[in-house]
Amino acid sequence: GGGGAEEEELTAQETALYDRQIRVWGVDAQKRLSKAHVLVCGVNGTTIEFCKNIVLAGVGSLSLMDDHIVTEDDLNSNFLIPHDESVYGGKSRAEVCCESLKDFNPMVRVAVAKGDPSLIDGTFIDRFDIIVLSRASLKTKLFINDNCRKRSKHIAFYSVDCKDSCGEIFVDLQNHSYLQKKPGGEPEQQELKYPSLQYYNLNRIDCIYIWFVSIQEAISVPWKDLSKKTTKLYYAMRVLESYESSEGRDPGETSLSDLPAVLALRKDMCDRMSLDESRIPTSLLERLLAAGKKEHPPVCAILGGILGQEVIKSISCKGDPIKNFFYYDAADGKGAMEDIPPTPED
Amino acid sequence: MAAMFGGIVGQEPENTRYDAQISVFGSKLQNKLEQAKIFMVGSGALGCEFLKNLALMGISCSQNGKLTVTDDDVIEKSNLSRQFLFRDWNIGQPKSTVAATAAMAINPKLHVEALQNRASPETENVFNDAFWENLDAVVNALDNVTARMYIDSRCVYFQKPLLESGTLGAKCNAQMVIPHLTENYGASRDPPEKQAPMCTVHSFPHNIDHCLTWARSEFEGLLEKTPTEVNGFLSNPSVYVAAARTAGDAQARDQLERVIECLHGDKCETFQDCITWARLKFEDYFSNRVKQLTYTFPEDSMTSSGAPFWSAPKRFPRPLEFSSTDPSQLNFILAASILRAETFGIPIPDWAKTRNKVAAEAVDKVIVPEFQPKQGVKIVTDEKATSISSASVDDAGVIEELITKLEQISKTLPPGFHMNPIQFEKDDDTNFHMDVIAGFANMRARNYSIPEVDKLKAKFIAGRIIPAIATATAMATGLVCLELYKVLAGGHKVEDYRNTFANLAIPLFSIAEPVPPKTIKHKDLSWTVWDRWTVTGNITLRELLEWLKEKGLNAYSISCGTSLLYNSMFPRHKERLDRKVADVAREVAKMEVPSYRRHLDVVVACEDDDDNDVDIPLVSVYFR
Repeated sequence: GGGGAEEEELTAQETALYDRQIRVWGVDAQKRLSKAHVLVCGVNGTTIEFCKNIVLAGVGSLSLMDDHIVTEDDLNSNFLIPHDESVYGGKSRAEVCCESLKDFNPMVRVAVAKGDPSLIDGTFIDRFDIIVLSRASLKTKLFINDNCRKRSKHIAFYSVDCKDSCGEIFVDLQNHSYLQKKPGGEPEQQELKYPSLQYYNLNRIDCIYIWFVSIQEAISVPWKDLSKKTTKLYYAMRVLESYESSEGRDPGETSLSDLPAVLALRKDMCDRMSLDESRIPTSLLERLLAAGKKEHPPVCAILGGILGQEVIKSISCKGDPIKNFFYYDAADGKGAMEDIPPTPED
Repeated sequence: MAAMFGGIVGQEPENTRYDAQISVFGSKLQNKLEQAKIFMVGSGALGCEFLKNLALMGISCSQNGKLTVTDDDVIEKSNLSRQFLFRDWNIGQPKSTVAATAAMAINPKLHVEALQNRASPETENVFNDAFWENLDAVVNALDNVTARMYIDSRCVYFQKPLLESGTLGAKCNAQMVIPHLTENYGASRDPPEKQAPMCTVHSFPHNIDHCLTWARSEFEGLLEKTPTEVNGFLSNPSVYVAAARTAGDAQARDQLERVIECLHGDKCETFQDCITWARLKFEDYFSNRVKQLTYTFPEDSMTSSGAPFWSAPKRFPRPLEFSSTDPSQLNFILAASILRAETFGIPIPDWAKTRNKVAAEAVDKVIVPEFQPKQGVKIVTDEKATSISSASVDDAGVIEELITKLEQISKTLPPGFHMNPIQFEKDDDTNFHMDVIAGFANMRARNYSIPEVDKLKAKFIAGRIIPAIATATAMATGLVCLELYKVLAGGHKVEDYRNTFANLAIPLFSIAEPVPPKTIKHKDLSWTVWDRWTVTGNITLRELLEWLKEKGLNAYSISCGTSLLYNSMFPRHKERLDRKVADVAREVAKMEVPSYRRHLDVVVACEDDDDNDVDIPLVSVYFR
């Protein structure tokens, strides 16, 4: 996050409301949260879970960008949209969701940002500390990520996508420094049993510096250079991304009828980058294609929770961030982190 | 692995809100979800997230389905940072009803009933046999282990799946308990947090935790329990007095002494009286008692085994000298005076809340008698003691004298006199409760040279607060709901389920298959905690013993509820052997089996032929 926390204390209202979470991340982190400005491009089941979490946490402001007019399909995994056409009819997804989100925490400024993510310019994104992108084309992801990195202001970039019951989160914090509690027992347990041992014993805290790469750089890594344990979801998402790109489709605008073409593309990409095709199972590609834009509500909650905590960590500069991809698949219940390109072992 | 999510049914979308699910596992399962009968215990942070998920997934969202949610708590401000179905204007309203209403806004088809009963042995008339037998699954949304253990025992008894989850800060976990497939929740619990022994809390604290436990206990005693006792006496003096006589023990004596103190010795009529009370209490707790303790056990005293008495972890205390120029001491006196005044309904002057020179002068006005420690004062040092009241030879006699005194005092009270007990409310920063508790604890810490804590930390410990965030809560419920699909679909094996532990701070994500239940074997029989043995017929105790003997088991003790029906050690129990189990239960255990139930359960202790104890299942006798 930006400059250090200022001298003003939290108000009595904030202390009362945020009591339980201040006990997790501290007063300083809470102050930083209250000054953070977040932009979310793409309203869907997963991003609104994320929005719920950070609004409750008390960020300074949240702007939602999604001009698509609400359709019935949008109601399926989005609990912020009331099932009443007289309420949502003719309005954009962003408009309707903003109204609901405001109720969750009157201290957070929630607003609609009208526009097309693929057209936003540098001065616009300077208003924000965090940008989250979802269901965007590869071109838009590259464009916005590149813009974030070009600004002199430090802007953290995240993309999140949920297809069927799988999820991908990408994190780019550029240069990031944060505090990390040194390992050695369970600090929280000790605090509970011996609370007189104040946890700001500076000997137990390290300041860590890490560097993140851009999306461009990450996805350009030839597949043969990746670890053999890299999750199949990484590859599957890249194939679909590439397919949607070359066919000029909107993200998620796919179906099972695309399977033959997608399998051909898989062969092509695997040949080019020396990866065995069996690493990207046909059944997985089928699932993702058939899903289109459909998301499973429990998976939205899981991904929204993880992403929410990641953003809170980066704003507060406390805690290890995901570096740099996270994958979840409800089929096996596994959550996996991938570091791409792999950080060389020293 | 689970066929739940891994393929597609290839079913055409039906243009319902559940298309994502239908395309993966078909409309037949979707119908099953909609007709599910679920019991959700708790409607706080986890509860709100669950309700939202269930509404989106369509679970219990039809007339044939039903979600019963229960929570006895009401909404408070600090809930709003996670419990997003609640708004500011809901503060004070019951959590379950507000959450249920909000969930129906997400899906109007949700068939939900919101109750305000705490799920416990006392509400088994509400959550009765028929209710439990009708359930498909139980979802825990609780914040304490006691309730979880109770629900676990009910789920084992009624053989119902239990979906358990919890969070602590950024950590969360989800645990699946499936009848006959997995161990139950109670099978592997962490050893309970060791509670400090009473004498440690009362006389020999060595950390701030002890001081805060003591502080909370004194707060409750002085400001809640004693005023409640006073009101109990005043509302029905003869009943109250009779109860004290019947108890006739040290505790009853102590309580009477405190009531008399409140109504006579320490009775307050003006705010200055309250200041006096507070100042004298300070002197008593933080000076006189310490002087007495160190007089009885001087710094160099030895135990009976020749070791120094005051060796670690015991800390040698020193008495405090009061000074109104010490802000922490003055603040404590004023806060305590304010709460004392509240219990007597005495108006509080403005200067008491602003703490200025006027306040300091009022406190300095109090005349504090000199204190001399006495010989022969009993102080409990036994760590196993569970009561601080030291029994004396003639408690009953003393009680009679106290009763007489109390009755005389009550005649002098103005008509309509009553007190206002104060219930500890940790989250209201303007009520002085935490000021008093933190003050008590810190002064005590000062006595024992223990580092003091600020109000925030004091509140955390004394209020038994669990740090909580929305992200971990959302994640926990997402993980559970994925498992809920499998439970309601049915037919899944233990390896299909997932228990998950995650820590969003690190981040760490760890999954495991649930552990199967422990199997107990005996001859050619085997069973787990999920099994129950059934015997049909209105049998006698002897017939029950014979039935077990046929299995090679020698039963020596039969109990029902908390009563012993039969034990081979007691000769007079032999008379019962030819009586019907049901009749003995009715007579001895006062077990009235309601008309809708045809059985009663007995716990039987058995040995095998080699005199080894065998842990057998509960035995249900279907006597009707």
